[in-house]
Amino acid sequence: MAETAMAQVIDAIDIETFVVCSSEAEGKKIILQIMQEMGLKDTDIVFLQYTGPGVRVRARGYIHRPGSHYGWLQGNKRVG
Amino acid sequence: MGNSAKQRVLLAPLDPVHDIGLKIMKRHLEANGHETFMLPPDYKAEEIIQKAIDEKVGTILISRTLGYGVAELLAGFVDLADAAGLRKNVRIAIGGMAIRPELAAELGFDAGFGPGTNPDEVLAFVEGREYVPDLSKESKQKKDISAGYSYRYKHERIGQLLDKIVDFIFDWAADKTSPGVIRAEIREKMLRAEAVFQAGKVSEHEYKKALAELQQAYLEHSDETVRKFFSEGIIPAKTRPLSGSELASLEEYVRETESRMSIKRVQHIGENPTVFIQYGTGCPFMDIAHIKMGESWGADGVVHFDPSWGARTEGFLSGYLTHEEDGSVITPENLRQIKDSLHSSTLWQVRAHRGLNTPETVLLAGAIGADLTKINIAYGAMGAGTDPARMCIDGIAAIKYAAKYNLPFDVVTNEELAGVPAFKAFAGMLVVARLARRLGAKPILQPLFCYSPEMMITGGMEDNYVDFNAAKIMALRKIIDAPMWPGAPIGFLTQTEDRVQSSMTTGLHAALASSLGVDAISIASSDEAYSGGPIVAASRVDTLQAVTEAFRFFGHTKIQPTAKAERHAGEIIAGIQKVLEQIVEKGCFVQAMYDGILGAPEDGAYPGRVGRGRVITL
Repeated sequence: MAETAMAQVIDAIDIETFVVCSSEAEGKKIILQIMQEMGLKDTDIVFLQYTGPGVRVRARGYIHRPGSHYGWLQGNKRVG
Repeated sequence: MGNSAKQRVLLAPLDPVHDIGLKIMKRHLEANGHETFMLPPDYKAEEIIQKAIDEKVGTILISRTLGYGVAELLAGFVDLADAAGLRKNVRIAIGGMAIRPELAAELGFDAGFGPGTNPDEVLAFVEGREYVPDLSKESKQKKDISAGYSYRYKHERIGQLLDKIVDFIFDWAADKTSPGVIRAEIREKMLRAEAVFQAGKVSEHEYKKALAELQQAYLEHSDETVRKFFSEGIIPAKTRPLSGSELASLEEYVRETESRMSIKRVQHIGENPTVFIQYGTGCPFMDIAHIKMGESWGADGVVHFDPSWGARTEGFLSGYLTHEEDGSVITPENLRQIKDSLHSSTLWQVRAHRGLNTPETVLLAGAIGADLTKINIAYGAMGAGTDPARMCIDGIAAIKYAAKYNLPFDVVTNEELAGVPAFKAFAGMLVVARLARRLGAKPILQPLFCYSPEMMITGGMEDNYVDFNAAKIMALRKIIDAPMWPGAPIGFLTQTEDRVQSSMTTGLHAALASSLGVDAISIASSDEAYSGGPIVAASRVDTLQAVTEAFRFFGHTKIQPTAKAERHAGEIIAGIQKVLEQIVEKGCFVQAMYDGILGAPEDGAYPGRVGRGRVITL
């Protein structure tokens, strides 16, 4: 049974934003920290482009990878 | 009960400017026999209400774009209507950008219509009945991409050369077979035994005995991985069987999803090509989730993508298996599960263009109910790692099964990605297409729509991505009257990890394909250039949306290539003819592949090694 709303995410949550920073490396560090603070563990940066004002970034937190046990399928129960 | 009798409707833009939505509704209501009274923009609430009283209307349709303070204005209008005693007999609805039914109800309106409202929804409100969408308008039919083509050679010399080469192939292959061909023959017997048992013509005991004997014969021609799977239950790494409860949940998921699903159309005009997406997450369940999502966002077809290790293994596993990496394991059970989940209008393609199981793949695909497959001996051998001789023997058998099960197949040319010039890849494609016609099959030409590596080196695509891709279609059309399905996926090597850029370039390549009048396209997700993890479902929506928008934007408008396209087309045709003449001179298609005529090491192409030495001379 899907016990959390997060279990209804089919595969992953993408966070897209613009982070103010002074380098690509700093931008990467910040977005990964943001993902961690949001409770997303299985994370990766899909796209990141640094320009002077900061980074345009798309980070991804996988909730279900192929082959895992999908919360949205188990018992097919919906939250809310 | 509703009332479709003639209604009197007042349409009033409570807005300084915007009244387009109301004009559309006025036309629709009048077309359905109702009488309308349209006020110009910027009337005061009191004036609108007075008009409603004077004309004795039953409905007032207000339009308004939301902005600062507008909610109060709208609520004030409803209060005024109440005070005038209108609400007893008159129903009032609000429409406009940013209007939602919940907001309309909160403000005291009887209904609210936001962006994307079907005029029939408003008509139903006016007539006091429930709106029931006409799903028949959204129904899709499967399209036969190969229909209507004669396969006639317009370039006579190339047609003659192809026939000579196909004669060589038949002569060379006449006394040869392979483990892949033998396993497919055994699988045919297994399928026949199953059909006989299901028809009640033999007992379960007899069926199981026959199946065990066939299984034993099958394993004699399989790799150790497959033998260990059946004899010791050892499952390959990163693969696991799906449980019974997971399968039951999946069936419920598909049933529930189908019951509430509507099918969108990507196409804006009839001439837009059929659109395929690829799946192959590794897990049949996740594949099915992607398929349902793709269908609902307008994909006309889906392509089964198997793992690369499966193609290097002699023989198939069995059962419901999931896999943690790219590519979904081919087993009869996995294929049946996916087939059962497809919407009735969805075209299903199972790829069989490389590896050691191509005849059996086509056989299973055909027997289980696929609509299309993918075969190309030259690409399988020169770009996808399979030994040319083995690929040729297996490819012929695969084409025969495609003909038997009436599965048209695309002849993919992705060796171009390795650096093989398009004319060499096309020569191989045309040989296989001619071979297929001689075997009674229906090939579909698949030129690659991409930022071609040969052009990267020469700078031939520095100005635009249009000319060279257009030239490919122009060249092939001058050679043969055959269906075309650019792929795969379109826009290869133009996509980046930025999803907006990736979706945009896919949309533009789709528009170019449509402008060139091709029959189908395969599109990537916006994760195409991302290699850090599995492709996600949302990224498939991105490109389906982008293609829908591109088709909407261009409609019947054509994209005009520059004069360079004609020049490139001429060069491609001349190159194809030269390659075919070299093959004829060589006297053997398979040897021509080993010798680099269809792609040489300096092009980035090497004859594949998987399955080398495993052709059996009878």
